Amino acid sequence: MSAIGELRTLRRDGRGGLTADQKQALAKERRRDSKAAAVFLAPWLLGLVGITIGPMVASLYLAFTDYNLLQDPNFTGLENIQRMLGDERLGKSLLATLTYVVVSVPIQLAVALGLALLLDRGIRGLALYRSVLYLPSLLGASVAIAVLWRLVFGREGLVNAFLGLFGIQGPAWVAEPDTALGTLIVLHVWTFGAPMVIFLAGLRQIPRQYYDAASTDGANKWQQLRKITLPLLSPIIFFNLVLGLIGSFQSFTQAFIVSNGSGGPADSTLFFSLYLYQEGFAGFRMGYASALAWLLLIIIGAFTALNFWASKYWVFYDD
Amino acid sequence: MRRRARRGALAATALALSVSVAGCGIAPDPADAELSDEDVTLTMTWWGADARHQSTLDAIKLFEEEHPTIHVEPTYADWGGYWDRLATTAAAGDMPDVVQFDQLYLSSYAGRGALLDLDAVPEFLDASSLPDNVLASGEVDGSLYAVPIGVAGNGVVVNTSLFEKYDVPVPDTDTWTWEEFDAAAQAITEASGGKVRGLSPFGADSFSLEVFARQQGDQIFDDEGDVAIDPATVAAYWQRELDWIESGAAPDAASLSEKAGVPLDQGDTVVGNTAMAFIAAGQFTAIAAAAPDFEYEVADWPADADTPEGFQYPKPSMYWAASSQSEHPAEAALLIDFLVNDPQVARAFGTDRGIPASEAFQEALEPTLDEPAKKLLDFTKLVGERSGDAPPITPNGASEIETMLSRYNQQIQFGQLSPQEAAAGFIEELQSAVDAAG
Repeated sequence: MSAIGELRTLRRDGRGGLTADQKQALAKERRRDSKAAAVFLAPWLLGLVGITIGPMVASLYLAFTDYNLLQDPNFTGLENIQRMLGDERLGKSLLATLTYVVVSVPIQLAVALGLALLLDRGIRGLALYRSVLYLPSLLGASVAIAVLWRLVFGREGLVNAFLGLFGIQGPAWVAEPDTALGTLIVLHVWTFGAPMVIFLAGLRQIPRQYYDAASTDGANKWQQLRKITLPLLSPIIFFNLVLGLIGSFQSFTQAFIVSNGSGGPADSTLFFSLYLYQEGFAGFRMGYASALAWLLLIIIGAFTALNFWASKYWVFYDD
Repeated sequence: MRRRARRGALAATALALSVSVAGCGIAPDPADAELSDEDVTLTMTWWGADARHQSTLDAIKLFEEEHPTIHVEPTYADWGGYWDRLATTAAAGDMPDVVQFDQLYLSSYAGRGALLDLDAVPEFLDASSLPDNVLASGEVDGSLYAVPIGVAGNGVVVNTSLFEKYDVPVPDTDTWTWEEFDAAAQAITEASGGKVRGLSPFGADSFSLEVFARQQGDQIFDDEGDVAIDPATVAAYWQRELDWIESGAAPDAASLSEKAGVPLDQGDTVVGNTAMAFIAAGQFTAIAAAAPDFEYEVADWPADADTPEGFQYPKPSMYWAASSQSEHPAEAALLIDFLVNDPQVARAFGTDRGIPASEAFQEALEPTLDEPAKKLLDFTKLVGERSGDAPPITPNGASEIETMLSRYNQQIQFGQLSPQEAAAGFIEELQSAVDAAG
């Protein structure tokens, strides 16, 4: 309601009711308010409908067609789903993605939490450390870093130069099927800044008295961590876990750049979204790619639901 | 209000849906095409590196001077992002009017009605300056959809500086056999103590597979567009690569994997990690330019006494095509005609798009050529003399053949599959991609 409308309401007559005239004016005012709201909402609404909901609905339809980008789609029923069942590369890509998510997300959270605990002890120059440690999060998803990664983990890269100091000849990390996924996991762990900052904020919320009381009772640091910090921080851990899972399931850029778009060597870094992209844009199977996109949505949904279910058993809400 | 908003959102969703689904409109009949009386803006796109962008912009300027009512708006990209973008613009119905094309994708686009039938606009485009066997590689189902620009054989590039440095005699490349080739490669690896390897193997590109198959009297695709190659041929192709890796003539699997897909100027041939390599000969001048410290020669493939003749063929390095959705098919055809026939264009492009397929262009070019370009021209003429009929072009649906090859190739290199298993898997996957495209 606009300010003028509000003033009008205040200028009601003393008897507590409104005259017919006033009622009409008020209704008109409300209509105008609604119009203003619609105008202000329009840019967001247009974006939501045009860029998110519209394409989503379209892709749901395309998932059941043989759309190839160049010709009109034909409805093919469940053919795309049948195709998924016999798709060997889909299996490989699911395996690579799951390995990546299951390994990198917990490690990243552990690193983020560990650093947050260190930083929370009120060391000098905290703001500086926090910024420096947050930096990789800003860079990690960028093309430049992925390119750099190729060089750092190349046969003649920094990592092998370092190992060379100890007389170890390391492999060409990004170029071997056994180690390529590992380098991407390291890259993901390295971007621990965002969860770390959230952990830091969470740690600040824990009342100091609890620790004072605990140490009076003779609890050591480890016991304090386990009995006070972790339970009270568990909602934040849960939050970071859910966001981390959703984000890493959709990873694309790193694998695309590090493998030159191939998901190689030998499909070892074929992330789900990269496979989906290859099918849609390189193979002209946009119908199948749309079906894959919905499969990814279902998988992420299932993992998130599982998380919420499991959270009943370990997340502790203070209030 | 809330209900109205919901209805509005619904309508907008429906609109977005219909726009995105109805990517393809109805193409105008190209036979009715005529030049517009008014000013016309054409869009045009190509892939390439900086030198090509500059020379193409120069050619466009020449065209605009000659046709003041036609304005050409260029967009250009690297090979990597080019095809993704083209697919998206084609889906959205705003593919550029004139498009630089590759053999891999030609059938996939033409077979799905995305390209203009150039036979339908003869009054604006005359491609008769090109030899018939070259022009045939621009045809899909009997109609010309793309005009070949340059042609190239598949050759062996030889870094003679490295041969000299390690005191290994260069074999007579005019008559060399596979045995002599292998021995020379082996000698380089041994003489350099493994620092330089004898050769960069083939294994991941359809051009070298086609030439290899033709040496065995086989071919990848038949005239119907089905996969015709014998699994044994594909297995032998990969087995040869494995033999080179195992004997040390070629770099090891991890080194090859590391170099897969890097830009030309970081490749083993340019850096000097290997002394010989199988290349689409069109790259020869780019390689020579990127490595001024090395001397290179380009030679025909080794052949044995029982190798069938005519295994070489001039493969178009790229094409000009026009969009079937173009609002100005006549002007688009006129631009292609200019690019294919005007000698000024020959001089602007040089050999950057391969040796021009038309003899008139070759003559216009010859006096301006530098040393590597002359070698390339000689090689292309040699291929022309030795070549047999061109094989069928990559059929609709098979445009992923390169990525499939390199994927199976890596699985072989790292011992995950035997060449026989990979050959069977590759052929099955390729055929099913062709079948799926119908």
